[in-house]
Amino acid sequence: MFTKFEHFAATSLMGSSEEAPPRQDGHLQFDRDWEKLAFGVAIALSKQGYFEWEEFRQTLIATIAEWEATHELDDPDWDYYQCWLAALEKQVVASGVLAASEWEALVAQLLDCKGPTAAPPTNQ
Amino acid sequence: MPSNYPGFGYPPDRETMSAAKVKALESLLIEKGIITSQTVDTVLSHFETKMGPFNGAKLVARAWVDPEFKDLLVADCNAACQQMDFPEGMSGAEGEHMRVAENTPEVHNVIVCTLCSCYPWPTLGLPPYWYKDPTFRARVTREPRVVLSEFGVELDDSVEVRLWDTSGQIRWWVLPMRPPGTENMSEAELAELLTPEAMMGVATVKV
Repeated sequence: MFTKFEHFAATSLMGSSEEAPPRQDGHLQFDRDWEKLAFGVAIALSKQGYFEWEEFRQTLIATIAEWEATHELDDPDWDYYQCWLAALEKQVVASGVLAASEWEALVAQLLDCKGPTAAPPTNQ
Repeated sequence: MPSNYPGFGYPPDRETMSAAKVKALESLLIEKGIITSQTVDTVLSHFETKMGPFNGAKLVARAWVDPEFKDLLVADCNAACQQMDFPEGMSGAEGEHMRVAENTPEVHNVIVCTLCSCYPWPTLGLPPYWYKDPTFRARVTREPRVVLSEFGVELDDSVEVRLWDTSGQIRWWVLPMRPPGTENMSEAELAELLTPEAMMGVATVKV
């Protein structure tokens, strides 16, 4: 029924208000640049077959449920894309895109340097 | 309440950390040849420039300035889409038949749906939060005039309200009436006036 993976991926997230991404006037609403990047990376990886979109969706739902179970419903720290990023991190490791050790080492490196400059150099 | 999950025991600078993590993740994926530096942009451009409410706005604006096109849009929305410079996959796929309900001085149309996957996404973009709300659906079916008035649409008693259940087979959306005072506007300027809500029938077009 869906002709484009992006179309399928976005609409499949509309099941409940918790799992659906923030949107405004028919557009996805990104408040910060990294949210866009996290959104795009998740879709791109699934589109290329590294994991089923439904797997990511379930990881996202579980991550949100976990947050809700440990926070008050009106906690101002609620942040959809923080959950999205946490789910994406779990998914890339669970589906073997990156080895757990590889990702942990990278996060540890970032924590040491505490800044975007900690990102490793790329070939691009 | 403290969290036991380390991912949520965020430091005060979680913003900086999150931004750094996402960038590092993308860089690593590029380095490993899993994605390229263009991949994410390509995905995002689908939402930003290919499919969204701007397509519906273009169709409506064209219909307002071209009566023949309007007839085609109402008779066969997918055929009308094919006349526009829209991306592949915009319409015509199996099951994705779009139909347009035309607002007139006598009839005001509103779309409802129980499943958001049935929303006419290529022309209206992503559905608003309240669209999926069972209360909205129940109330708009039971007391459409009251709900419309809460949205700011005041209808004369003589106007008939028609509800269209958009489904997997037929995705309905609404062709709003062209507002007065727009006679000298270009097609592009008219398109700017349109909102997803107007094309769902829960708003009128304002200048």
